[in-house]
Amino acid sequence: MTSEVTDIGVAPLPPGAGLFRARGTSLDIEARPVTAALPLPARLNAAAPRRYYLYLMAPAIAVLAFISLYPFVWLIVMSLQDVGVGDGEWVGLKNYTRLFSDARFLEGWVLLAQYSAMCLTLQLSIGLLLAVIVNGAKWEKFLVTALLMPMMMAPAVAGLVWLFLYNGTFGWYHWLFQSLGLLGGGSILSSTDTAMLAIVLVDVWQWTPLITLIALAGLKRVPQDQLEANMVDGASPLRNFFAITLPNLYPVLLIAIMLRFMDNFRFIDAALVLTGGGPADSTKILPIYLFEVAFKFFKLGRGAAIALTLLIVTIILGKLLVRIFEKPKSERV
Amino acid sequence: MASRDVVQYKSPVAVAFKVFSIIFLVIYLIWTLLPIFVMFVSSFKDLLEAFNIPEVGDWAGVMVFFDFSPTLKHYQSLFYDNNFGEYMANSLIAAGGSAVIAVTFGSMAAYSLSRVEFRGKGDLFFWIISTRMAPVVAVMVPLYAIFRSFDLIGTLPGLILAYTTFNLPFAIWILKGFFDNVPYSIEEAQMVDGATRFQAFMSILPLVAPGIAAFIVLCILFAWNDFLFAAIIGSGGAKTLPVATRELVQPQNIQWGAIMAAGVVTTLPMMLLGLVIRKYLVTGMTMGAVKE
Repeated sequence: MTSEVTDIGVAPLPPGAGLFRARGTSLDIEARPVTAALPLPARLNAAAPRRYYLYLMAPAIAVLAFISLYPFVWLIVMSLQDVGVGDGEWVGLKNYTRLFSDARFLEGWVLLAQYSAMCLTLQLSIGLLLAVIVNGAKWEKFLVTALLMPMMMAPAVAGLVWLFLYNGTFGWYHWLFQSLGLLGGGSILSSTDTAMLAIVLVDVWQWTPLITLIALAGLKRVPQDQLEANMVDGASPLRNFFAITLPNLYPVLLIAIMLRFMDNFRFIDAALVLTGGGPADSTKILPIYLFEVAFKFFKLGRGAAIALTLLIVTIILGKLLVRIFEKPKSERV
Repeated sequence: MASRDVVQYKSPVAVAFKVFSIIFLVIYLIWTLLPIFVMFVSSFKDLLEAFNIPEVGDWAGVMVFFDFSPTLKHYQSLFYDNNFGEYMANSLIAAGGSAVIAVTFGSMAAYSLSRVEFRGKGDLFFWIISTRMAPVVAVMVPLYAIFRSFDLIGTLPGLILAYTTFNLPFAIWILKGFFDNVPYSIEEAQMVDGATRFQAFMSILPLVAPGIAAFIVLCILFAWNDFLFAAIIGSGGAKTLPVATRELVQPQNIQWGAIMAAGVVTTLPMMLLGLVIRKYLVTGMTMGAVKE
């Protein structure tokens, strides 16, 4: 039966004929039903002309090329030059070889690692605990809204507010720390021992809620039946948490860790406002050092070399992150 | 949850955890809201009142914090003596401009990336996203040199372009996820009905419109809150609110009242916007990796 129908249009498809021709119609006008004997549209919708997608993509790619690819090439060129306020002068690899004898550059990496590690440990432990407590609480909506507030603040403004709170003569947190006996005479920012802790606290204040919200989204997806089954088998809530909740949270927490890790590299606004790298370079994490070299002393060539090392590390981290992102949907939360 | 109604027994450990969690929650809420609260209240305090603080260890003296007569003079000084109206306009133009560019170009690119397969797509995608993840200071070094040769330093177009470096990749990345969720068959149906490809694209836009609107707001938020780009690329002609706030800190005379007021002016609009797009906030802040 069906073969009869398809046999009507035996004529082979001429080149250019669309794929959207209704089945069973012939290309010969006489063989068609009368209703179909209308003039052919000038162009049928072809499968998917790639050109069309290219046109749609072009503006974004062009803008990105100008503000991302072109600067990247420039960065490499600049790192081989001695660029100051004026034009550059080729110096070969000198900018790089100098890095290895630059104590503050190496120290900057160490401090950045310390800073990130401290931020992440605190944020992760507090954030996770908070998420477990907030999950299913009576006022969950209100609590989550309250948690969002610090994240909406510009990090530079947050830094200024904390500068006020840390102030050695009239800062409220200074008073609190002293009243609790945690702090001696000087301000928390003025001592090399505590300054790092001070900027870590600000980061923890501002971004722990993000970890909480991410963990909260993960907690909602922990399979309840597994929890119940485990409970029926006599597991304690604590055991339940470590045996079922935590493994289920693992993928989201990984994402949270990576995101925060990269943001610690990306944003230095608050730290710049609070300490600017001081006292005695004790908080001069690498991005702050880079900022100083490039935009305080305007050694753009050296800055470019430092920036390139920072970029390479970030790109490696980014590659890891994207691999996590692009896991098949079933594995992803 | 039904199981909770059935299981009535509460072990002492569970009760202890409950008490602990309430205490922890209260302390955390105070800790998280206190700086914001102090900022708001201090912006209404006269200079000397803001410096009132109890003796060390004098816990009852905390109430001195509320002992002040509210004044609006810091806000007045911001807008009459310090040109904050202009800085606010700068912030708005820079953030809004980059958000519009990012979402317009971004949605077109995201749509085509979502619909077409080609070799090297993964690499293109990684390039786009790594632009967003790159440390701001590192990006700024070559950008500063380039913008200097184009005379874009200290101008609003320069700042808009600088913000586009992180907003455009963000928009492409997030919106691609949105378009991936719209079945291609909708466009196919439109095209069978005689729509052109572009009309078909336009016809699915309403489906992603709420998301697009939310992400315009998020792009504005990221750009508005930026400090580094504005401090370097915008220095001179295009001062934005965070930079202007920072400049109130002078070595000799730190105008704390004005700083707090400026902080409120900078923060309040974003807090309100954040509440409006609450639903998309976590998705946006995690670059789409976590959906609420």
